[in-house]
Amino acid sequence: MPSASDILSALQSAFPGSIQESRVESDSRLWVTVDQKKLLEIAKFLRDKQGFDHYSGSAGVDRMADNLMEVVEIMASYANHNIVVMIKVKTPRDAPSVPSLVPLFWNANWYERESWEMFGINFEGHPELYPLLLGDDLVGAWPWRKDFKGYPDTTTGKRTVERVDASGLTSYRIGLTDEQVDSGQIPQRIEYPTFREREEAHIESESEMILHLGPQHAIVPGPFLLDVLVDGERIKKAFLDVGYIHKGIEKIMENRTYLQGIVYTDRMCYLASISNNEAYCGAVERLLGVTPPERAQYIRVIAAELSRIQSHLLGTGEFLTLLGSATYSPFQYMIIDREDVISLLESITGARITHTFVRFGGVRNDLPDGFAEQARKVMKMVREKTMEYKDLIAADPIYRKRMDGIGVISPQDARDLGLCGPPLRASDTPYDMRREDPILAYPDLDFKVISRKEGDSAARVDVRLDEILESVYIIEQCLDQIPEGPVQEKLPKKIKPEPGEAYYRTEDPRGEMGFYVVSDGSDKPYRVKVRGPFYATFQTFTPLLEGVYLADVVAIAGSMDACTSEVDR
Amino acid sequence: MGISDVIPIPAVVDDELEKWTIYGRPLSDVWFTTTEKIHQIIEMGPIKNVLNWGRKNSLWFLMQPMGCCGVEMLVFGCPHYDCDRFGIIPRSTPRQADVMIISGYVTRKYLPAIKNLWEQMLEPKWCLAIGECAISGGPFFDSYNIIQNTGDYFPIDVFVPGCPPRPEQFIKGFVELQEKIKQRKDTRGY
Amino acid sequence: MELSAIIEAISSWAASEPRIYALIIGLIGAAVISGVINIVAMYVVWLERKVLGDIQARYGPNRVGSRWGILQLVADAIKLFTKEDSIPRDADKPIYVWAPIVASMTTMLVAAALPFGAVNIGGKEYPLVVANMDLSALYVEAALSVMTISVFMAGFSSNNKYSLMGAFRGMARMIAYEVPMGVCVISVAIMAHSLNLVEIVQSQTLWYAFAQPLGFIVFTVALITDLGRIPFDQSEAEEEIIAGYTTEYGGIRWGLLYFQEYICMFLGSIMLVLLFLGGWNGPNIPFLTPIAPMIWFFMKVLIVLVFLIWTRGSLLRYRIDQVTDLGWKWMLPLSIVNLAWAVVVGLYFA
Repeated sequence: MPSASDILSALQSAFPGSIQESRVESDSRLWVTVDQKKLLEIAKFLRDKQGFDHYSGSAGVDRMADNLMEVVEIMASYANHNIVVMIKVKTPRDAPSVPSLVPLFWNANWYERESWEMFGINFEGHPELYPLLLGDDLVGAWPWRKDFKGYPDTTTGKRTVERVDASGLTSYRIGLTDEQVDSGQIPQRIEYPTFREREEAHIESESEMILHLGPQHAIVPGPFLLDVLVDGERIKKAFLDVGYIHKGIEKIMENRTYLQGIVYTDRMCYLASISNNEAYCGAVERLLGVTPPERAQYIRVIAAELSRIQSHLLGTGEFLTLLGSATYSPFQYMIIDREDVISLLESITGARITHTFVRFGGVRNDLPDGFAEQARKVMKMVREKTMEYKDLIAADPIYRKRMDGIGVISPQDARDLGLCGPPLRASDTPYDMRREDPILAYPDLDFKVISRKEGDSAARVDVRLDEILESVYIIEQCLDQIPEGPVQEKLPKKIKPEPGEAYYRTEDPRGEMGFYVVSDGSDKPYRVKVRGPFYATFQTFTPLLEGVYLADVVAIAGSMDACTSEVDR
Repeated sequence: MGISDVIPIPAVVDDELEKWTIYGRPLSDVWFTTTEKIHQIIEMGPIKNVLNWGRKNSLWFLMQPMGCCGVEMLVFGCPHYDCDRFGIIPRSTPRQADVMIISGYVTRKYLPAIKNLWEQMLEPKWCLAIGECAISGGPFFDSYNIIQNTGDYFPIDVFVPGCPPRPEQFIKGFVELQEKIKQRKDTRGY
Repeated sequence: MELSAIIEAISSWAASEPRIYALIIGLIGAAVISGVINIVAMYVVWLERKVLGDIQARYGPNRVGSRWGILQLVADAIKLFTKEDSIPRDADKPIYVWAPIVASMTTMLVAAALPFGAVNIGGKEYPLVVANMDLSALYVEAALSVMTISVFMAGFSSNNKYSLMGAFRGMARMIAYEVPMGVCVISVAIMAHSLNLVEIVQSQTLWYAFAQPLGFIVFTVALITDLGRIPFDQSEAEEEIIAGYTTEYGGIRWGLLYFQEYICMFLGSIMLVLLFLGGWNGPNIPFLTPIAPMIWFFMKVLIVLVFLIWTRGSLLRYRIDQVTDLGWKWMLPLSIVNLAWAVVVGLYFA
């Protein structure tokens, strides 16, 4: 297995002179700054020759002081090794432009669209550079640039102009003044076809129509727009429009202190708060150079696994209601079990779903008295119930009919699409951050990475149910092994990491959650980039839903266990 | 709605009917009245109490999870909390819903859609703002993409604070709304 | 004067003036049934919410009308019937308005021909039926299929994509299952040598559920399909097409469609009891001889209703192509096998 320095020397010998800067952080982290003209070639070299087959995301950074824009491409490998290489490209700030990686990695699409709409970085060769998260009114303002005027928006009155037209419908003009609306001047910053125009261009005959599943629809766990072009019951093409709850968390976190930032990570994906806390705190800990005490590591593992159990229970339950209806009883039973797990989490953290529990260098508080007994009791119950659910869905003929062989993703496709988490593991790729990155107490614990061969919707649900059992096993081990000691490393009140950057990954219930934090030496992070797991999975809806029945949309989309809030951030 | 909308009758007959009056009011006004007008007529009487009793015990809400509170909204309908005890059940089409729960951050992009949903709901309808984000923007108050006070856009009856509020607080919010309807103090009641 | 003597007198008069008698009974029956059946529907909804609550470890409605929440549906009805009336701007107005009315008329038509149990006076059973036709089994079956038309009217006229989808699904599904259902009714009629529901009940010394089990299963499945309940509720699959053909309906119009569904469920259960579960036949109950048939009848209906609710709480939904597959490739051949069986057995015993 190669180490990060091997990769670096291979790069230097293959592309002499193109590697401008480099840093080997550890055996599994490599930072290189490359010439932007060579980016495509280097990425191709890494993918084909060095086994970096997993494009994990990209982040834009606005270096205003240097008059530069940076794009950081994160690349990893599914099975070959556990090295993460962070490739940085610099481009002038007044006309930022870098080559697009979409020809190499299909899933670079959304990451680059996001960087374009937020920073105005042009990606040469990108097939559809349209806004993703922002509404049409903000495109062209480049909100994540450091000199964006619209933030912080501390106005307290109405932020929109309301007009009622003749038919009684209200329309909104956002970001404009009354005078502008009345005079009919609506500034259009950039010309591009709107979402509606783009999708309607695909209608070919009279018998086809576009069916909107969202933004408010029983299938969506949070607002997003899934438009399907249907011919009868058959779907010809699917379109996704996200950003309905885009809050700009990354921008807000740049303007809060490090500690305040934890609160926002909770609200990014409310079903996996602990994993998000963990990923953010882990990244900041890397910047600070501290490791949490051992007891705190175990407590973090317990909390994260509890959080995984509750998320999977809700995810599976909610999915079953999509196949049946909200009256489907096992869903309700899962919620009952989940409530017990939630009470357990509440007894540790004091909150039901937004915990804000993990701290830099430790956790907020120790486990409560009598936690171990209570936890063992609940874990026993969860294990028994989960076995029962597995038996139930294994024996349900309607379930098998609806799920078996639906939405099959082959292992190669899953890797090409850049999936992560349970959907990926269901396609015979045991790729789990707990294994890849030795973080917290995971190396000391015995657990196996669940995977399935089939790759269909049923397998994705099976993986989740099996992971619940595995999490129960991990928690029971933690309860046995947890050492005594402090739970919080001594740190100064005001956290000011040295200038630098860190990337930290954890295994979220939905997959690979990564935080890329850049520090400039002040008490606020310079840039926080979230590499969300569902963001990666979400992109794949469009190719997966082509050619299936309308009823299979729920079977496929539901089995991915959506979390819109984390996509939109 | 006139009768000609229901049954196609010759325009002549329709014109004739237009001329008829009852107690000095056009026939179509009195005869082909809509439920809206019935509501106006019985607004003041004691029968309103009966109607309000029915309405307050049958508050169906629009299933529209938006943020963190959306998860609690889901749990709110399940065992342990069971909103069905109060006659509160989720509906997925706005036409059949009475209560809109704004359960999270309303963004610039979502506002037209959510307003559209609100306008599709039939009167009498009520609106609950649940969670800090819906009340004032919460932790995202200074974001560039957030519509800060939903109270400026929707006639909100009950504000439920919390980030996110517990399912018990959802119940509390609905009970407050029931009390408000009973006392005829709701913003939208006829 | 004895009760039986009065009935004797009425019967003899009825025999002499059959048309006037039918008219009077028809009017009284129609008035009673149209009033009672809506209340029954409300309590079927209530039963469903309570039973579902019980299955799901919840209480179900318990705030209005004692701890059983028996007034819950009254509250719902008051609310629904006093909501704003709306017709979508681009809807096909006459059809949109008539769809719920056609639906409730259909249920009334069905109700007219169904015997709602019987009373036993002086050792003789008098079935409680408004219109005792010779062909009532066939008539009920035919009237039930008119429901499809109201579903299609509602879905088509709403000018909504989800509604249209729901309407088409409803059509496809009902056509696929109307045929096996009809064949099952015919098989029963062959065995009973009559198409009159009263006579079918009277001929059931052995319940037809046992005499032709295949037919019973096919009929039950087809009935659930006809009622549009899980696992065959594709026409209003909430998670796929919002609320199906009722997406654009709200207030009183939706209330009619909604209650009509539950009236259908009630009538469907009655149909199942009459055709296959021996109707009101049952051992005599001491001291309650006159209403013993009624007790047996409604007990059976209640069991069927609870069974229908139970399926809703514990089954998932089929995909529409799987439903039609099941209908054409399994239910129809099975029903024909059953028909053959009924012919053979019927001829043998005849």
